[in-house]
Amino acid sequence: MAQYVYGIVEATATKPRGRGIGGAPVRLVVGDDDVAALVSEIGRDRLRMGRDEVLTHARVLDRALARGPVLPMRFGVVMDDAKEVRDRLLEEHGSELRTQLTEMEGKVEVRIRAAYDEQSLLREIMRERPEIASLRTAVAGRPEHAAYYDRIRLGELVAAAVERHREADARAIIEALGNHALAVEAGEPHHERIVVQASFLVERSRLAEFNAKVDEVAEAYGGQIRFKYTGPLPPHSFVELTEKV
Amino acid sequence: MSALAANRFPRSGYVTRGSSSGLAEVLDVLLDKGLVIDIFLRVSLVGIELLTVDARIVIASVDTYLRFAEAVNRLDIGESSSEGLPQLIEDMTQDGASSKTKGILEGAKESLFGSSGDDEDENEDESSDGRSSRRSRSSSGSSRRSSSSSRSRSGSSSRGRS
Repeated sequence: MAQYVYGIVEATATKPRGRGIGGAPVRLVVGDDDVAALVSEIGRDRLRMGRDEVLTHARVLDRALARGPVLPMRFGVVMDDAKEVRDRLLEEHGSELRTQLTEMEGKVEVRIRAAYDEQSLLREIMRERPEIASLRTAVAGRPEHAAYYDRIRLGELVAAAVERHREADARAIIEALGNHALAVEAGEPHHERIVVQASFLVERSRLAEFNAKVDEVAEAYGGQIRFKYTGPLPPHSFVELTEKV
Repeated sequence: MSALAANRFPRSGYVTRGSSSGLAEVLDVLLDKGLVIDIFLRVSLVGIELLTVDARIVIASVDTYLRFAEAVNRLDIGESSSEGLPQLIEDMTQDGASSKTKGILEGAKESLFGSSGDDEDENEDESSDGRSSRRSRSSSGSSRRSSSSSRSRSGSSSRGRS
């Protein structure tokens, strides 16, 4: 029977409770190296998945994290059967999994998304750059077609100023929070208003200190930047399986 | 106990805490990160748009410039910041319906997933934007190596930005 794989845990982990995808019970497949895979049975005809399954995957991992270290699989890993899980995942990658599992003991991921209050940022740019403010005044009130190129020029100047702020603020935020974390994985922001989109690997014992820093940094920006905090999460962004040749 | 009060988080009104079971916040890590192994059966993901768009191109477009020009045009420079709950907060919370800006993936994701109780049509193609997930993954994949090797000493050297 095909096995949906959620992640890797200690072989001595307490028996997982609860249901996984499709309502199937979550079980352990134990390998050598004291590691085990968290799995649940899945029919091959059930391989079209959507939002519910992604949520279930997250929930199973969340529960596992409460009991000990877990190395999350990416969403959607289904193996042929338990033997495949044992041979091709646990045995073949056993020492690598073992090393990472040990490393991830007592560590969690925190995801931070920081985005600008656009009006607040634009106002600051107008204050800093009187020439942009003047161009704005010149453009305002003129009919759209008449000032088309001026508008583009204005927008271009503003966009460049926004980008400069973004780079400086991203660097400052990541550095400030990174000082209380073990590692950072920063992705490229996907929207001009997003300043930071990053994952931090934080020791549980230092989580309160990390959180306090998030509060402090947020206050320092006084609302110009708003922060979204998600965690503690299993360390999705800090695990890796290298290809066996 | 005062210890409990001291540990309350977040304290800042500028920080929102998302639930780890809320999809929008964790979607990118669930789909992009984590362990992968090539010996597996393909799962097809339905109802979730997985487009790859180079976000940089969108940022530098004329449309963006015009949007900025419009945004500064509408600014009330003389007044203090009293615009109520910013558009931003709505974008950042799981309220799909309020993603008015045709931004890039952020808007698309929020509108696709909304809040957990929503039953919105997940096939809606309201945005042609997507995510440069592959790109950010590969760019941060290599930087993760450097951050893991410098893991013993955190700080600016662990900033994994390319």
